[in-house]
Amino acid sequence: MTEARSDILQGTLDLMVLKTLEAMGPLHGYGIARRIEQVSENLLQLNQGTIYASLVRLLQRGWISAAWGTSENNRKAKFYSITRAGRKQLAAETENWERFSGVIGRMLALADRRQS
Amino acid sequence: MTPLRVLASRVRGLFAMRRIDRDFEQELESHLAMLTEENIRRGMPPEEARRAARLRLGNPAGLRETNHEVRGWALVETLFRDVAYAFRMLRKSPGFTFVAVLTIALGIGANSAIFSIVNSVLLRPLPVPDAGQIVVLAFQQKGGDVRAWFSYPNFRDIRDQSSAAFSEVAAYRTSFDGLSLNGQSDRILTSYVTGNYFSMLGFRPALGRLIDPYEGDVMRADPVLVLGYAYWRSRFAGDPQIIGRKVSINGQPVTVIGVAPEGFHGTLSTAETQAYLPISMAAVGNSRFRSMLANRAGGPFLVLGRLKPGVSLAQAQAMLGVVARRLSSDHPRSDSDLSLSAYPETLARPFPSAHNPLLGVAALFLALAALVLLLACVNIVNLLLVRAAVRRREMAVRSALGGSRSRLIRQLLTESLLLAFLGGAVGIVLGIWTSAAVASVKFSSNLPLLLDFHFDWRVFLYAFAATLVTGLLVGIVPTLRAARVAPATVLHEGGRNLSPGRQRLRTALVVAQVAGSLMLLVIAGLFTRSLERAQHVQLGFDPSHVLNVSMDPHEIGYSDAQARQFYRTLMDRVRALPGVRSASLAFTVPMRYYTSNSDTLDIDGYTPPPGKAKPVVAFNVVGPGYFRTMGIPLVGGRSFTDADDQQTQPVAIINETMAERFWPHEDPIGRKFRLTSAPNRWFEVAGVAGDSKMLSIVGPSAPYFFVPLAQMYMSYQTLQLRTAGPPAAMIPAVRSLVASLAPGLPLFDVGTMDEALSSSAFLLFRFGAVLAAALGVLGLMLAVVGVYGVTSYATARRTHEIGIRLALGAHPWQILRMILSQGALVVGIGLAVGLLGTLAAARVVGSFLIISATDPTTYAVVSFVLAVVALLACYVPARRAMRVDPAARLRHE
Repeated sequence: MTEARSDILQGTLDLMVLKTLEAMGPLHGYGIARRIEQVSENLLQLNQGTIYASLVRLLQRGWISAAWGTSENNRKAKFYSITRAGRKQLAAETENWERFSGVIGRMLALADRRQS
Repeated sequence: MTPLRVLASRVRGLFAMRRIDRDFEQELESHLAMLTEENIRRGMPPEEARRAARLRLGNPAGLRETNHEVRGWALVETLFRDVAYAFRMLRKSPGFTFVAVLTIALGIGANSAIFSIVNSVLLRPLPVPDAGQIVVLAFQQKGGDVRAWFSYPNFRDIRDQSSAAFSEVAAYRTSFDGLSLNGQSDRILTSYVTGNYFSMLGFRPALGRLIDPYEGDVMRADPVLVLGYAYWRSRFAGDPQIIGRKVSINGQPVTVIGVAPEGFHGTLSTAETQAYLPISMAAVGNSRFRSMLANRAGGPFLVLGRLKPGVSLAQAQAMLGVVARRLSSDHPRSDSDLSLSAYPETLARPFPSAHNPLLGVAALFLALAALVLLLACVNIVNLLLVRAAVRRREMAVRSALGGSRSRLIRQLLTESLLLAFLGGAVGIVLGIWTSAAVASVKFSSNLPLLLDFHFDWRVFLYAFAATLVTGLLVGIVPTLRAARVAPATVLHEGGRNLSPGRQRLRTALVVAQVAGSLMLLVIAGLFTRSLERAQHVQLGFDPSHVLNVSMDPHEIGYSDAQARQFYRTLMDRVRALPGVRSASLAFTVPMRYYTSNSDTLDIDGYTPPPGKAKPVVAFNVVGPGYFRTMGIPLVGGRSFTDADDQQTQPVAIINETMAERFWPHEDPIGRKFRLTSAPNRWFEVAGVAGDSKMLSIVGPSAPYFFVPLAQMYMSYQTLQLRTAGPPAAMIPAVRSLVASLAPGLPLFDVGTMDEALSSSAFLLFRFGAVLAAALGVLGLMLAVVGVYGVTSYATARRTHEIGIRLALGAHPWQILRMILSQGALVVGIGLAVGLLGTLAAARVVGSFLIISATDPTTYAVVSFVLAVVALLACYVPARRAMRVDPAARLRHE
């Protein structure tokens, strides 16, 4: 059971990371985590370390690439950027997500109607 | 694609673990620093900022672990743990491990050894680029056999007319020649090749150069020679200075220009070619060669082609069809109803034929070896089931403590695979030994047979696949059973349970084992009895007290006249040696396969039945006294005399089968026939000899005839002596006599007729009998171990019950009878199943035997022996059960 739930979260987190990289360009792990928190208006409080499992998964699939670089504060950091395959995957995932959330939305609306 | 990439990155991850760990550490470090900086910017004191940052990031150890897991480390770690645990389990029961590993090793050893032989004979391609494109050409005339020996004119026409299908078509003829250097003469196997032979094969020489395409066009020009690699190593110790040196071939000087690459043994699959010369050099010292090159009917040339890239075998076949039709209509006398075919080189070994007999032999022995391995598997499954019963508690405890089922199954499979691979490793070593031993068998013939059974990747792959299958086969049954265990039942019953289901399975396994070994033993028995029968077959000649010594004065440069003079003197002197009863010369000796003559005949007064080609009949060329020396009776007419020579009417002596076949119910004496290779000479039948086995020990006797040496001279001859004492004792006298008459003349195939027969006629049967017997003994051993193991285990499980029976007054003999009769039942069922299986398989084996494949004696003897041995294997544990002390046994509980 726990496994199934974390699967969904994993997938969602991967999607968010991809979207962030697409929108912001190359970013280090900290930057990605910060960005996700900001966009979610701090509704999503990440245990920031979990971002790295997601990054390794995306790297293995070839959807992002990584290179060491220097941060704005002159600190050595690993920068991630989205690849072409990653963009394609993101487009597909986005479409999936929209369809899925549409279905969920309709389902919930349906349930509401019966209740009323 | 993605799963592959994930796998690749995981595997990479395994090897670069250390670096990746450091990398990840640094990344976390920098992340932590950034978080801390931000916290400080928000106004936290540094100490506090750092602590908060750590909280936000999460536990570093946990993060590292997750990182590992994602990178695939976890999977391998579990695997390592499983293997280590399996090793511990196997170490804990060394007896079981030893027996199991040895059993698997014997099975894998037998399989890999037999496969290595099959591989070298049938599978390993020529060591040339794109070996798959090389084909062997063969032809067939309506009603005749598939033949591979082309005439030169036909080869030339085929080469010129099939260039759409083949990039090259080359021909060669094999021969034995004398190579001498510094007074030492060797008799070597040579190939006379067309100039494009090496360019067709397309490899580079190990040294020097190869024969060039323009060489060999002009008769006797181009006196050059390319050495075979192995011969260069053995005769010239791999001396690179040999290039450019002059050696003599049959007394004529030739220059060594190069050495063929290592691993290339020539294109004759059965023997090692020791030197290559241009085809024109075959004319040196051979006055008939030029007319042979012009003769379209019959010839000695083997023809190879290289398919053009993109041309399929079927397309080439179709184009050859066109060429064949053209040849048939242009040359109706020699090429009527001709068809041509191309065989992939590996399928044309040793020579192309419609139904390659080697394929059947190979399949038979591979199947027998597989049967041995299967029996080995059955044995191990038995042992594992016993262990599984013992380990039920362990499994139950582990599963009660939360070991997942899949994890338990994986553990058990790991154990059986580990067993299989240990056994497989030992088995490969055994296999390498065995095939090396087979390859080192000594033959009394000087033919450089090619016995290179080394283990290449194909053999290792086969052994690996066999090992893997063994591991899975052995592991699957006990694993499924163990995994079905309900922990509660097992932990409650205290380990004294006798599950009837498992007992049934074990009994079935014993039945299978007895049946399988019966099959192996019967086949071994059939081969052995065939060998025995072959040795007592009526040969039609008397091989005892006969010595053979072959020679070819042509090899030291003698002209025909010189050689004839040499033979005349030799015969006079040999006949004068003490202990010689009779002496004569012959071109070939019975069943020396590599020197046999045959020709297509035109027979006066005989027309082949419609749809049948003209008869092809084998013959020998013999001197006066031949029939006396060989002990072949004459049943009509006269023998050859010194008066039959070049000036008189050509004569022949035919065997009874030939007389019966072509002149049934008539007197053949005085009838005539001619050979296609010598169309203007009609041979008159002067005598009829008794049938003798000349070509093969098996099968019905075939037509055969003899012609006098003086009328068909050949320089290669075998001196045959019938001696009073042991023939081998005459060897030194003959050697010194020849050395005094013709210094430096190499003698070869020196030995008694009995030796010659055992390494030619009986060789295949002996080989089959030994191989089948070895497999049969393995099968028997496995069956004994299996029956013994199961019976003693079953008896041990029943000691409790036996104790009670004895305590209640049963007589020990009754216990013995009970256990023995149960054993006998199982063995009996096994025998019955085995007999049925063997009868079904017998039809396949039948074609390789002399005796009937359903020979009742073999079946009866083998069943009896197996039954006795199996019952003995039951008897030992039954005796033990009889001696159970009931009081002690029951107290022990």
